[in-house]
Amino acid sequence: MNTLTDNQRQTLGRIGDSLIPAALGMPSFTGAEAQGEMVDHVLALRPELLNDLRRALDGVAADEDAASATERLNREDPEALGAIGLVASSAYYLMPGVRAIMGYKGQEHRPASADEEHDYLRDNLLQAVVDRGPIYRDPGVE
Amino acid sequence: MGETAEVLIIGAGASGAVAAKHLSEAGVRVVCLEQGRAVTSDEFYGDKPEWELMSQRLWHPNPNVRGLATDYPIDTSESDVNPLMFAGVGGSTLIYAAHWQRFMPSDLRVRTLDGVADDWPFTYQDLEPFYDFMDEEMGVSGLAGDPAYPPMTPPPLPPMPIGTIGRLAAKGMNDLGWHWWPAPQAIPSRAYRGRSQCVRRGTCMQGCPEQAKASTDLTHWPDAIANGAQLITGARVREITVNAAGLATGAIWIDRDGVEHHQKAEKVIVCANGVGTPRLLMLSGGDRFANGLGNSSGLVGRNLMMHPYAATVGYFDEPLDSWLGPAGQAIHSMQFYETDKSRGFVRGAKWNAMPTGGPLGMRSAYGGAPLEEAWGENLRRSTQKRFGHSFEWGIIAEDLPDPDNRVVLDDTLTDSDGIPSPKIIYRNSENTEKLIAFHLDRQKEAMEACGASSISTTTLMRDCGWHLMGTCRMGNDPETSVLDQWGTSHDVANLHVLDGSTFVTSSGFNPTATICAIALRSVLHMIETRAEQRTAS
Repeated sequence: MNTLTDNQRQTLGRIGDSLIPAALGMPSFTGAEAQGEMVDHVLALRPELLNDLRRALDGVAADEDAASATERLNREDPEALGAIGLVASSAYYLMPGVRAIMGYKGQEHRPASADEEHDYLRDNLLQAVVDRGPIYRDPGVE
Repeated sequence: MGETAEVLIIGAGASGAVAAKHLSEAGVRVVCLEQGRAVTSDEFYGDKPEWELMSQRLWHPNPNVRGLATDYPIDTSESDVNPLMFAGVGGSTLIYAAHWQRFMPSDLRVRTLDGVADDWPFTYQDLEPFYDFMDEEMGVSGLAGDPAYPPMTPPPLPPMPIGTIGRLAAKGMNDLGWHWWPAPQAIPSRAYRGRSQCVRRGTCMQGCPEQAKASTDLTHWPDAIANGAQLITGARVREITVNAAGLATGAIWIDRDGVEHHQKAEKVIVCANGVGTPRLLMLSGGDRFANGLGNSSGLVGRNLMMHPYAATVGYFDEPLDSWLGPAGQAIHSMQFYETDKSRGFVRGAKWNAMPTGGPLGMRSAYGGAPLEEAWGENLRRSTQKRFGHSFEWGIIAEDLPDPDNRVVLDDTLTDSDGIPSPKIIYRNSENTEKLIAFHLDRQKEAMEACGASSISTTTLMRDCGWHLMGTCRMGNDPETSVLDQWGTSHDVANLHVLDGSTFVTSSGFNPTATICAIALRSVLHMIETRAEQRTAS
């Protein structure tokens, strides 16, 4: 599915790298190759973002500096910039390589044993609360 | 559909489901009209990588964001807070966090104790057996002995683990000598009555893909339908009909092909939440009830309470796995719940220590940061700082009833069937602002005590109106209340309301346990007094 033209995708890559640069051991937006199929996947799930996204991308000239374009969009069309930001960050954080670097497996299936005694009971973490006694107001005795 | 229902229930959420199950169990002929549809667990994204992306639209709690035809749009231009809800079988329990909190005894005696608002027409002790019963039906997990409450029947399931964030928060509270307790949840710590054990995905608020969390589509509707209750989905009610004697005779509803129907009924129970219920009553009654049905007091729609929500996030150097669920709360605290007038305000709040989610995380809920703070290298720094290394202390702030905070019919906005939408007029009071400021200061101390390297606060989250209460309040005096203590209209003898609209005050607790307990109490009373009640037949 070609949701974006080549020019639009190139512009998305430039703006995306401005928003999500390589830093602190993490790749940039295009360094993670998030601008390709993952962007299409995001847009397939969130098609209502397409209009704002295309408007934003079509309004950026090929020779306009990405940082300047980002600031201008933020000033003139924040909804459009919001669409770029959401599409870019969603695609980026869905990339398996990015998740691997972050140590994030997604929302995990990690059931706990209901039969195991809880750690706060084993090490008496809760005992101080119990020892202080009731703290509720009883309307019947005021 | 041509048959007259003995009881017509409007809305298939928490209170509607409780009513349908128990009435049908008693042999009552029940029909329920629900404007939404039945949702299946495979529609939820919690077990899919795209969870956060979809939580910002399809499974967003704000109907104005979702924009579905089954929702009604709401004018919030004059409100500090957006009301949140979901229309469907199970209602907002599909996407609630399942904090299963009882009210305190003091919550029902606010006038007596603090000289503000009003007392409820019953006591905590009156409600207690119904809390116990609902704990069993929902499958509540928790630890008995919380000293913030009077002694109570232990919940049926052992508590969920409090996790790394719960332990960290608890250590800080212990250093300060402040109350905390493993939080009670309508989430099963082991398999329970056909539901799965919670696997801690932490996606409760976008629907539970595991069929674990206690949403009433799972806990009550299967039994109600097996008992013979008829549930009609895609049925949007536009008016409750009334006969010459001033009794309710049923409701006019519109199907998804736009065809109107009239469901006749001997009694009508409205369970459409604190916004939908007053909206429907104001749409009903015709010339005979010009201010809306059951509204001789003028209080239908007034005294809206929504629990303005504030929060403190602490950031820590060590890894906390802080995307792990349950999403709602690991531990709670009622250290500052009760009134201390030296603080300069009355009433208080419950705190809940909760995880902070995935990498997109709070960007949607707490957005609005300047460009240079939100993106670029600062995005890297903030993600590294927050993701997996933070937790949140939330504040459920009790807001007091104020007749100026209200639901009205909008002049121009309509739903997809052309029915006037509700408009919310709601402002935080000075008492609430002082309360929130005090609690945020204490939460900062709690975060410092447990070693946070930095702290941020949110003084009011706009998308926080989960708890819709007070708009058809109960009371003994028909001039100052809409309903009696059983949820029966003072004006229309066979019209009942069982949702959060009935609340006299809001407490500082998540309300679903109390909504369900009140619904159960009222319905069992209705069954007991069945032979004595006036009906339209």
